[in-house]
Amino acid sequence: MTPATKPDLRVSIGTLELRNPILVASGIIGFGKEYEQLVDLERIGGIVTKTITLRPRAGNPPPRVVETTAGMLNSIGIENPGLPGYFEHKVAILRELPCARIVSVEGEDVGEFEELVRGVDRSGVADAIEVNISCPNVGPHGLRYSTDAGMAREVMTAIRPLTKLPLIAKLTPNVTRIAEIAVACADCGADAVSLVNTYVGMAIDSRNRKPILGTVLGGLSGPAIKPLALAKAWETVQAVDIPVVGMGGISKPADVLEFLLVGCIAVEIGTAMFADPGLPEACVTGISDYVRAMGEHSVEAVIGAMEVPAGRGPIRAGKARRDAARAARNKGGTR
Amino acid sequence: MKQVACTVVENRELTKGNFLLTLRVPRQFSKPEPGQFVHLRLSTDGEPLLRRPYSLEGYFDRRGIRAVRIYYSVVGRGSRILSGHPKGRELDLIGPLGVGFKPTRKKTAILVAGGRGVAPLLFLSRRLTEKKRPYVFLFGARSKSELYGVREVKGGRLHLASDDGSVGYHGSVMDLLEREWREHAHTPETAEIFTCGPHGLLHAIADFARERGIRCQASLEGPMACAVGACRGCPIPLRPEHDQGRYPAMCVEGPVYDATVVDWERLP
Repeated sequence: MTPATKPDLRVSIGTLELRNPILVASGIIGFGKEYEQLVDLERIGGIVTKTITLRPRAGNPPPRVVETTAGMLNSIGIENPGLPGYFEHKVAILRELPCARIVSVEGEDVGEFEELVRGVDRSGVADAIEVNISCPNVGPHGLRYSTDAGMAREVMTAIRPLTKLPLIAKLTPNVTRIAEIAVACADCGADAVSLVNTYVGMAIDSRNRKPILGTVLGGLSGPAIKPLALAKAWETVQAVDIPVVGMGGISKPADVLEFLLVGCIAVEIGTAMFADPGLPEACVTGISDYVRAMGEHSVEAVIGAMEVPAGRGPIRAGKARRDAARAARNKGGTR
Repeated sequence: MKQVACTVVENRELTKGNFLLTLRVPRQFSKPEPGQFVHLRLSTDGEPLLRRPYSLEGYFDRRGIRAVRIYYSVVGRGSRILSGHPKGRELDLIGPLGVGFKPTRKKTAILVAGGRGVAPLLFLSRRLTEKKRPYVFLFGARSKSELYGVREVKGGRLHLASDDGSVGYHGSVMDLLEREWREHAHTPETAEIFTCGPHGLLHAIADFARERGIRCQASLEGPMACAVGACRGCPIPLRPEHDQGRYPAMCVEGPVYDATVVDWERLP
């Protein structure tokens, strides 16, 4: 043991190699440029872009955001310049980013998902694609694909042959059994799943009896959802052999560790970054310190290292689970 | 735009629930324009979760000691916490952000303030005074006690209005604007309007300006999450004839925006 050396924080998802497991979630940092004066992208693993759709989207009418207790409801509605705007304005920005670039896409039907994946693959600047089948704010179609295992299967089967880039399916927690959807994605060639997207929620101004968001319903994020998200992450880790990227309510380095300990290979940081743009970098430092304090050399030692005492809780946790997850990752790395 | 640590120099309650906050800012904080804002982190314990955007009432640089001033009212969780910050407290600030007022050379500026919307207009009036540009300041509030900053207006003509008649004209500042326009024979070629206040008032002023073809810039207010144009959480709705198939973001394309193209019916 040489505690003085810097721990190895590298993790990989298929061919995607990350210098550390800290990603910024989709919808938080645009395409990286907006935050360039506030975040040192060279220190973090990567960013997931704002979701792009085939055609430009104006997004939802205001108000689009409201703060709730320990959380934020949003109803942005995937405002984005579409695939042509991506090529025109965003590709050049992504090319210059000093971290992994995971491009998020969402189609209204299978055909659109196919065109988007082909387009992003062709753009040559994506290191992976996050397949957003879980936005709660764009009418019924988004959630349709990730609340129905059959439809998730249909999308993943259609797009898998179109690219060699790692495909990360982003899942909604607004389902009874998230593991079923995750398994469907894994069966159809997803290299990883990421979860959770936001929880459907709403808020009303009792003074005027009107819903606060322009679309009445929105997606809840922020610290309020972290325990919920962590449970979904654990459920998923136990069900699939592919890497799981955890997110939902991370607001401090200790939250990241929780997601890693249940078995997530990486995490995405979202809402809390609006208040604290330095949070992703603080999380990198936090993991590094933790690995060192454990007397380990690599973050791999933390992933899935949760120890559930005998007789407490579900069965497949602990070392057996950790070994299975490692084996799965090694398998995943050969694609 | 920079993320900097600033220090509370003074946080004084001027009248019930209305505060003037002075924050010392470091050298990296660039000189702001009137109408720009800062995004303040009010606490580090997660309550409130998001930063809050505050328009600047002024910027002062005295022998290298730089400070910004914010005039705010206690209206919710964030401002209540802000009102409790004592002298010496360090706060995390991002700014200056957004685009400010852009006065045209050679036109008389008519500044129309409603209530605490006076803040960015006081900043603008000082800048106009410095540049020796002519301006008129019309200021309306509910009552005399809410007419903050009257003494700060030095280079221009000042007219007051109050809803309760406790000072100045008894009625709306909108009436003052109509009278000003009529009695001084302003035209769209000779004058322009800069305004900030409740959106209902801004709506009326925008209609007045649009009907007469007057250039009119308003400083808008709304909830924001990132405040740097990334999250798209603060859309400005535009009138159908100006719809570009997209919403400008209040944080980076505003908060000062052409009032005559805003769809005030859809702006909360």
